[in-house]
Amino acid sequence: MALAKERLLKVYKDMFMIRRFEEVIQEYAANGTIPGFVHLSIGQEACQAGVVEALQRTDYKFPDHRGHGAIALCGTDPKLVMAEIFAKATGINGGRGGSMHVNDLEYRNMGFNGIQGSTMVTCLGTAFASVYNKTKDVTAVFLGDGTLGEGACHESLNLAATWKLPVLYCLVNNQYAISTNYHDAHPQQELKTWGEGYEIPSCRIDGNDVEAVIETVEVAAEHARNGEGPALIEMMTYRWQGHFAGDPAAYRPEEEVAAWKAKDPVKKTRGDLMQKHGFSEEALTAIEAGIEADIAEMLRFSLESPAPKIEEALTFVYADREVEA
Amino acid sequence: MSRVLTYAKAINEALFQSMERDASVFILGEDVAKMGGDFGITQGISYKWPDRIFDTALSESAILGLSNGAALCGLRPVPEIMFADFLGVCYDQLVNNAAKLRFMFQGKAGAPITVRAVQGAGIRCAYHHSACVESWFMNTPGLVVVSPSSPYEAKGMLNAAIRNDNPVIFLEHKLLYNTKGEVPEEYYEVPLYEAEVEREGSDVTIIGLQITLPMAHAAAKQLEKKGVSCEIIDLRTVAPYDKETLKASVAKTGRLVIAQEGPRCGGWAAELSAMISEDLFEYLRAPIKRVTSLDVPIAFAPALEDFVLPKTEQIVAACEALMEY
Repeated sequence: MALAKERLLKVYKDMFMIRRFEEVIQEYAANGTIPGFVHLSIGQEACQAGVVEALQRTDYKFPDHRGHGAIALCGTDPKLVMAEIFAKATGINGGRGGSMHVNDLEYRNMGFNGIQGSTMVTCLGTAFASVYNKTKDVTAVFLGDGTLGEGACHESLNLAATWKLPVLYCLVNNQYAISTNYHDAHPQQELKTWGEGYEIPSCRIDGNDVEAVIETVEVAAEHARNGEGPALIEMMTYRWQGHFAGDPAAYRPEEEVAAWKAKDPVKKTRGDLMQKHGFSEEALTAIEAGIEADIAEMLRFSLESPAPKIEEALTFVYADREVEA
Repeated sequence: MSRVLTYAKAINEALFQSMERDASVFILGEDVAKMGGDFGITQGISYKWPDRIFDTALSESAILGLSNGAALCGLRPVPEIMFADFLGVCYDQLVNNAAKLRFMFQGKAGAPITVRAVQGAGIRCAYHHSACVESWFMNTPGLVVVSPSSPYEAKGMLNAAIRNDNPVIFLEHKLLYNTKGEVPEEYYEVPLYEAEVEREGSDVTIIGLQITLPMAHAAAKQLEKKGVSCEIIDLRTVAPYDKETLKASVAKTGRLVIAQEGPRCGGWAAELSAMISEDLFEYLRAPIKRVTSLDVPIAFAPALEDFVLPKTEQIVAACEALMEY
């Protein structure tokens, strides 16, 4: 079942936007404007845009540390996400979180996390709350192939399966945990078997095919909403860049990188719009120019915004106490 | 109306009354529902609220991860970790998550969880069931660490902890479970962050907690016969601790002995000692003395365990040394 023309165009715009968003972040991390670590997700746009597209605003989302794209699509104004990554007072979290910790309760983006495996168990709680409060909201947690090495993953899969919690394990298999290929870290050929071991319905799909991602996550979300429990979706993809902006990624064969770049999810979706839905080159170029203008505005906003006031460092540590400087 | 209860029963009563007051309070842990807890602390709750108390797999990370996630959704989880030593298994969920969620979400949400665990040596169970763990956590801003010393405190502080909006680590001492004391029948709270002067005196201040308090009182009685007047303070909340009460006492007596059950190096006694030295140096008539366990794991054999734990006579000797300084 293919997506309707309008919906495919919408997710294409999403994917194009987060591609350009990440390229800008890459540039400004490289030139030293953005402090700290930045983990890019160029090449993984179909996983990010597809999962978010398949969810509702009230569903809980736990993006991973490579999650700028998903975050920027959850509903938060993307310029506030960019300003956060630029460590600015206008950032959605006032500059206290940055690249690895952007969150926005209003859109139920529960913030990603610098500790691998950590959100794998935190996500149980939002799913539990849906059951306890008798709502239909599901919880989607992004994890990577590397995350599965963490013990907390087993506790999470086991408890979610036993209690039939509405958790969608969105496994972005980009094949490398920093430098280590998943075949060198795990015995299974397909990581979806981790879900199957806990009797969780699990599948492996092409993570560069945004239509496949949306359709699969929508079906899983529907099951979870109906009390049928968790699902695990292994999305095969590839990160084009190193682990962090600046990592030359010398540990990967050049041919492998080239082969995956040829499977560019953004280009693929663009091609589908032209071939299956009759969009012209000119029409898509005009749409892309509009997004470029949005990105330029996000960048201007991020660059011109002030740094946070230093007193901010002392706020929100305790609910009921001040912290002395 | 007040009557005599054990420390264990006082905690059980606090759980009942807190759950009665607030439907968002729930309990989860290992053997807490059907069995009523390894030490019987949650007995009877599953009969009254079968849908608000949950037995889990042996999964401490999942227990605390679920608690954190549910707390972000507005629930008030009261997870039980069977022995405080096992907090090592789920340390990440406490120090990297619970402690930082309010900061991360800029006060819009936090982790109002109350983690109950039993700590302390003295039951011949060796080094995986005997630790005192306050110091494992007090170096993490955002966490509240409390250690009640009497049935009255246990009930009142647990009620306060559950209603508190910060993550609270509530440490019960296994040797205190069968101790008895006056406990009001009605719901009440003992405020967190406040130490209590249990005995007034003029020559030496002794700060104690849980099982070192009876030792301090025994020492004070012996010293009284020798004309030494001891002031005894129950620290109650270890982090963040009550600087003002401690400082007021030491400013009066000019001498300080800190009696702590856990190992000496890097313990909470070291922090109190550093604070008093920095803030009240000119009031001190003698160096600060610590009476603590030795810096070794707790051994199984009774003679070995007894040898390393702090004792009344050591408190007496420390006070005498200060008087003679």
